Amino acid sequence: VEEICNSVVDGNFEEVPRETVIKFKPPLYRQRYQFVKNLVEQHEPKKVADLGCGDTSLLRLLKVNPCIEFLVGVDINEDKLRWRGDTLAPLMGDYLKPRDLNLTITLYHGSVVERDSRLLGFDLITCIELIEHLDSGDLARFPEVVFGYLSPSMIVISTPNSEFNPLFPSVTLRDSDHKFEWTRMEFQTWALYVANRYDYSVEFTGVGEPPAGAENVGYCTQIGIFRKNGGKAMESCVSEQHDQHVYKAVFTTSYPSLQQERFFKLVLVNEVSQQVESLRVSHLPRQKKQDGEWDDTPKDSQASSPCFGPVFTEVEKAKIENSPKPFCVGDKFFVPLQRLLAYPKLNRLCANEEMMRSGIADSIPLSSDGSAVVADLRDYSDEQF
Amino acid sequence: MQLCTPTSVDLSNSEATSSSGFMGTSRISTNHKYGISSCDAGSTFMERGVKNKQDFMDLDISTREKLAHVRDCKTGSSGIPVKLVTNLFNLDFPQDWQLYQYHVTYLPDLASRRLRIALLYSHSKLSDKAKAFDGAMLFLSQKLEEKVTELSSETQRGETVKMTITLKRELPSSSPICIQVFNIIFRKILKKLSMYQIGRNFYNPSEPMEIPQHKLSLWPGFAISVSYFESKLLFGADVSYKVLRNETVLEFMTALCHRTGLSCFTQTCEKQLIGLIVLTRYNNRTYRIDDIDWSVRPTHTFQKRDGTEITYVDYYKQQYDIIISDLNQPILVSLLKKKRNDDSGAWLAHLIPELCFLTGLTEQATSDFQLMKAVAEKTRLTPLGRQQRLARLVDNLQRNTNARFELETWGLHFGSQISLTGRVVPSEKILMQDHICQPVSAADWSKDIRTCKSLSAQSLNTWLILCSDRTEYVANSFLNCLRKVGDSMGFNVDYPKIIKVQENPAAFVRAVQHHVDPDVQLVMCILPSNQKTYYDSIKKYLTLDCPVPSQCVLARTLNKQGMMMSIATKIAMQMTCKLGGELWAVEIPLKSLMVVGIDVCKDALSKDVMVVGCVASVNPGITRWFSRCILQRTTTDVADCLKVFMTGALNKWYKYNHDLPARIIVYRAGVGDGQLKTLIEYEVPQLLISVAESSSNARLSVIVVRKKCMPRFFTEMNRTVQNPPLGTIVDSEATRHKWYDFYLISQVAGRGTVSPTYYNVIYDDNSLKPDHMQRLTFKLCHLYYNWPGLISVPAPCQYAHKLTFLVAQSIHKEPSLELANFLFYL
Repeated sequence: VEEICNSVVDGNFEEVPRETVIKFKPPLYRQRYQFVKNLVEQHEPKKVADLGCGDTSLLRLLKVNPCIEFLVGVDINEDKLRWRGDTLAPLMGDYLKPRDLNLTITLYHGSVVERDSRLLGFDLITCIELIEHLDSGDLARFPEVVFGYLSPSMIVISTPNSEFNPLFPSVTLRDSDHKFEWTRMEFQTWALYVANRYDYSVEFTGVGEPPAGAENVGYCTQIGIFRKNGGKAMESCVSEQHDQHVYKAVFTTSYPSLQQERFFKLVLVNEVSQQVESLRVSHLPRQKKQDGEWDDTPKDSQASSPCFGPVFTEVEKAKIENSPKPFCVGDKFFVPLQRLLAYPKLNRLCANEEMMRSGIADSIPLSSDGSAVVADLRDYSDEQF
Repeated sequence: MQLCTPTSVDLSNSEATSSSGFMGTSRISTNHKYGISSCDAGSTFMERGVKNKQDFMDLDISTREKLAHVRDCKTGSSGIPVKLVTNLFNLDFPQDWQLYQYHVTYLPDLASRRLRIALLYSHSKLSDKAKAFDGAMLFLSQKLEEKVTELSSETQRGETVKMTITLKRELPSSSPICIQVFNIIFRKILKKLSMYQIGRNFYNPSEPMEIPQHKLSLWPGFAISVSYFESKLLFGADVSYKVLRNETVLEFMTALCHRTGLSCFTQTCEKQLIGLIVLTRYNNRTYRIDDIDWSVRPTHTFQKRDGTEITYVDYYKQQYDIIISDLNQPILVSLLKKKRNDDSGAWLAHLIPELCFLTGLTEQATSDFQLMKAVAEKTRLTPLGRQQRLARLVDNLQRNTNARFELETWGLHFGSQISLTGRVVPSEKILMQDHICQPVSAADWSKDIRTCKSLSAQSLNTWLILCSDRTEYVANSFLNCLRKVGDSMGFNVDYPKIIKVQENPAAFVRAVQHHVDPDVQLVMCILPSNQKTYYDSIKKYLTLDCPVPSQCVLARTLNKQGMMMSIATKIAMQMTCKLGGELWAVEIPLKSLMVVGIDVCKDALSKDVMVVGCVASVNPGITRWFSRCILQRTTTDVADCLKVFMTGALNKWYKYNHDLPARIIVYRAGVGDGQLKTLIEYEVPQLLISVAESSSNARLSVIVVRKKCMPRFFTEMNRTVQNPPLGTIVDSEATRHKWYDFYLISQVAGRGTVSPTYYNVIYDDNSLKPDHMQRLTFKLCHLYYNWPGLISVPAPCQYAHKLTFLVAQSIHKEPSLELANFLFYL
C-alpha cells in the first residue's frame, strides 16, 4: 500500500504493480521528470508546454527554473487541472524574493489533437507518457498537430517500452487506459517517420535502467528527443496565423519579477536600505560595556565585519575599496550611490547611478544633489543593544 | 456527533497544503519513512482547524435562554435612533435549500486521502456537481437519487475500487456544519479572485505597500466569514493587512553582528531568534526556530530520506534551483511536531538562514513607536475608504465568472449590504470636586477640566527624583511645571530629594535601594534611554522587594519643547492616582454596585504562564480600586485565582463601606476563541461561590468584552459614510440570537474607522434592563484615569489590562499586595 500512496501522493499514478520485483530508485516517474528538468537546464527554453500534464506535477517542478517565462499545461481532465492547479500560483516567498524574469503559467482544458494557436511558437513541448493513451485515430492526428501545426523547436515524447514488461509479474499493459505499448523498434519506426515527415531530427534514450542480466530489454521508459531542423521555431509566422482558441483556460497566474517596476523597486530599495544600514552601523562609535563611557574612534569596518556575510572576490573587493567612501556631516550619514553600485548585489540590479536614483528616489532620502543616500547617523534601535 | 471534525476543516486546505509535497526539505531524521514531508504542514493546518472548530463551539453555546429577563427581548430603547450600514451582506438561497452530507467508503480500503479524493473527483457521476470532500465526508448541494450510491472506479494501474456513498444527513442552512461548509466555499471563491490565503484571511499580493525603512511590506486584503447572526446567515468582510518582513534571517544576523560585535554575538543572536517563526521561501512553509547549529555550514552534508548524503548547497540547487551565496552561515534547527499515530520520534528540520524570511513583528518592533506609526499611517482607512474596498470586493465576487459559477453551482446568490438601526445614548457629565462639567467632546475633556480640581488627591511630601548629570537640568524645569499644574489640580507637590546617578540600570537600582525608606511616598526616575532593563529593574524592585509607587519618565519626553505643560499635567494625574487619589467620576444610578475588570495575557518570558489581572471598585462612586495580579499555569486555574481575588475585593469593600455590595458586575476581557464554555462552566461558578462564601447576597453579572469583532458600522450622510457618533449601541441583526449581546462605540478613531466593542452578557442575576446594562457599560468607559476621555472598554478592563501588561512584560511575579489599593501600574 505504501507504494500506491506514495506514488499518488506525489501526484502520479505509478504503473509499477504492488508485488513488484523491480523497484526504481528514485521512482520512475521522478526519473522522467528529472530527465525533462535536466533538458530544460541544458537548453534554457523560454516557452515550455506539457501536453497531458495531469495534475501538473511536472509543471510544478519546472516553474522554479529561472529561464522559463511561459509555462503551459494541457489536459483533457478538467477536474484534475482544477484539483491542484491553483497550487501553481506564486508563493509568499515569490513576492518577497521575486524572480528575475516574468513567468506566466496557464492551464488549458483540451485535447492534444486539437489545434490552439496559443501554443504556437514554443521552445519545448513535452508529452510524457501521453501517446499510449491515444486511440489509433488520435494517434494518427497527433503528429500533424504537434509537429506540423505547433511545430516547436524541441519535442520530448516518452512512452513505455513493452520489451521491459516481461520483467513485471503478469502484466500485459501497464495501465488499463493504455491503448498500446510499443517495443523500441515500434516506437523508433514511428518516431523516425514523424521526424522525417515534419523535418525534425530525433535521438532516442530512456529512463529506468533494466536490472543486471536483462540489459537487452532496454530502458523501462523510452524517450525520443525531437529537434527541429533549421533551429528555432519561427515566431514571425505566429502572428500571421489566424487566432484559433479551442482550449478553455482553466487557470492562469503571473509571477512577480524584477521586470515589473513595482517589484524591481521593492527589491532595490530593500537592498539599498540594507547596505546603507550595515555601513551606518559599522560607522557608529561603539559603547564600551563596562562603565558607559563612549569610545569615539570609529571602528575599522574590516575588524567589525561578522564571521559570515557576503564573501567578495578580490576584484569585487578592489572595486568597493576604490569607490567613494561613506561620510558624515553632523549627525547625518551619507553613502554615495557610486559606492552602493560597487557592491555586486546592487550592481546586478542597476546598470548605472541614474537607474538606481530613479528606483529609490520615492522611498529613500537622497542628498540635495542626488548623488548619495542620507540617513540619520543614530537610530532609535541603537539604544536597544 | 461533534460539530465539525478537524478533518472536515481540512477540506479547504487539502488542495493547497500539498504543493511541493514530495520535494522534501532538508530533514534530519532518526527514522526514514515515506510521507514525512507533509507532517509539519499537516499539523499547521490541524491547528487552524482546531481554531476554526473553537469558533463554532462558542457559537453553539446558548446563554440567553437561561436569562429570563431578556429571553423575549434583549434590545434597549433609549437614545436617538441612528441608521447604520454594516460590512455584512445577505446570502440568498432558495427557501428549501439544504446541504447533503454523505459518507464515502472504499473497497479495498485506501489509506491515502489524496488517492481517495482523486478517485472521487474523477468520477463522471459527480464531476459537474458542486462538492466538498475531505476523503471521507462528502457535501453536496444536490441530493443523489439513491440513499446509497455505489460507484466503481479504476486506479491508473487497473485496480478496481468500489466507492460507497451513503447519505448521512440533510442539513438546513442554519446548521453549524453547513456554516462551516459555506466558509470553505467562500475561501475557494476568494482564491479564484487571485487572493492569497494566509491563515483565514485573503490578501492581494499584487498591490503591496512598502515601508522600506523598516523592511516591511503590507498586503491589503480581507478577513471574511460566513456566520449565522440574529436571524439569518450573513457574509462579513473586513479590511485587513498582512505585515510581511522583507528580511531574511541571514540579513538579520549580519546586522545584529555588526551591532553587537563578535564577543556576545552568538548569545544575543540566539536570544533574539529562538522562538521566532520563519518562512522558507522555496516551499512556503513556516517553522519555529528552536536552535542554531553554529558548527554546521551549507557546505556540510546531510542524509536525505533515501539514505544518500548531499550537501545543503547541492540539495537546494537540485531541488529548487536556488544558489546559496553565503557559505559561512550557520544552520537553523526546527523541531517538527510529531505526526499523529507516528511514534518514530522527533524530526528536525535544518534550515538555511539565507532562505528563511522573518515573519510577524517582534516585541522590539511593536514597541518601536516610529515603526508602529508608519504601519498605522499606511493601513489607516477612513470609513469611506473602507466602504469602497468592500464595494470592490463585492463587485469582484459578482462579476468574476469563476466566482459566480462556484456560487451558482451551490445554489447561492450574493445579496445586499445590511443596514440597521442603532441608538445613540445620551452623553455623560463629568463630576469634579466642585464642578460638574459637560465636555464639548466626550473623546477628550482635558481642556474642559483644566481649571477644575480633582475629586481627591494626597499631598506629595516625601519623594525622590533620580536623574543623571545630563538630565538634572531638565528634571528641575519639569519639577517646576509639575508643581504648577499640581497646584491647579489640587495636588500639592513638595520639593523632592534629587539624587544623581550614573547612566546605567544597575546604578539606578542601587540608588533606589539606598535611598528608599518607609516614609518615601513615590520615586520618580528620569531615564536616560528607553533600554528596557532600566524600566524593568526599577519596576521589579519597587513592586516586589520594596513596594513604593514609582513614576518613570524618559528624559527625551521631557526635552520636547512646548509640550512641557501638557506632559506635566498627564504625569501629575498619574502620580495622583498612584498615591490613591481620585480624578473624576460619572453619575452611577445604582447604589452599592461593585464593578470588576479581569484580563489575562501570557507572560513574556515564560509563555506557559498566564498573567491574570483583576481590578475591583471599592466605593459606590466607582473611583477607588483594588487591584491584584496573579500568575497561573493553565486556563482552568484562572477560575481558582478569581476566587482568591473576589474574597479579597469583598473584604476591602466591607472595610471601606461597612457593608457588602448589593450588585457585582464583572467585565471579563482576554477571552480567546472557544473559551466561552470554560468561562461558563468554571469561572462563573467560582465567582458565585466566592460571593456566597463571603456571606453576601450580591447579585452577579458576567460580561465578556471583546475589542475585536467582525462587524463595523458606518453612518450614511450626504452620500458619504462616516463613523457613528460616540455612544452608538447596536443590539439587533448583527448580534447573535443565542446570546444577550450588544455592540457599543465608545472610542474615537481620528482619521480611521472606529471598531465597535462587543459585549456578551453570559450571566446576569442583576436582571437590569438591557437599556440600563448598556448605559452602565458606557458610563464605565469614562472612568479610566490615564486618559481624560472615553476609551474603548470599561475602565476596570483597561486597568486590568494595564496591570497584566506591566507584570507580563517587566515584573514576571505577583506585585506586592501593599500596592493593591493604588493604581500603581498606570
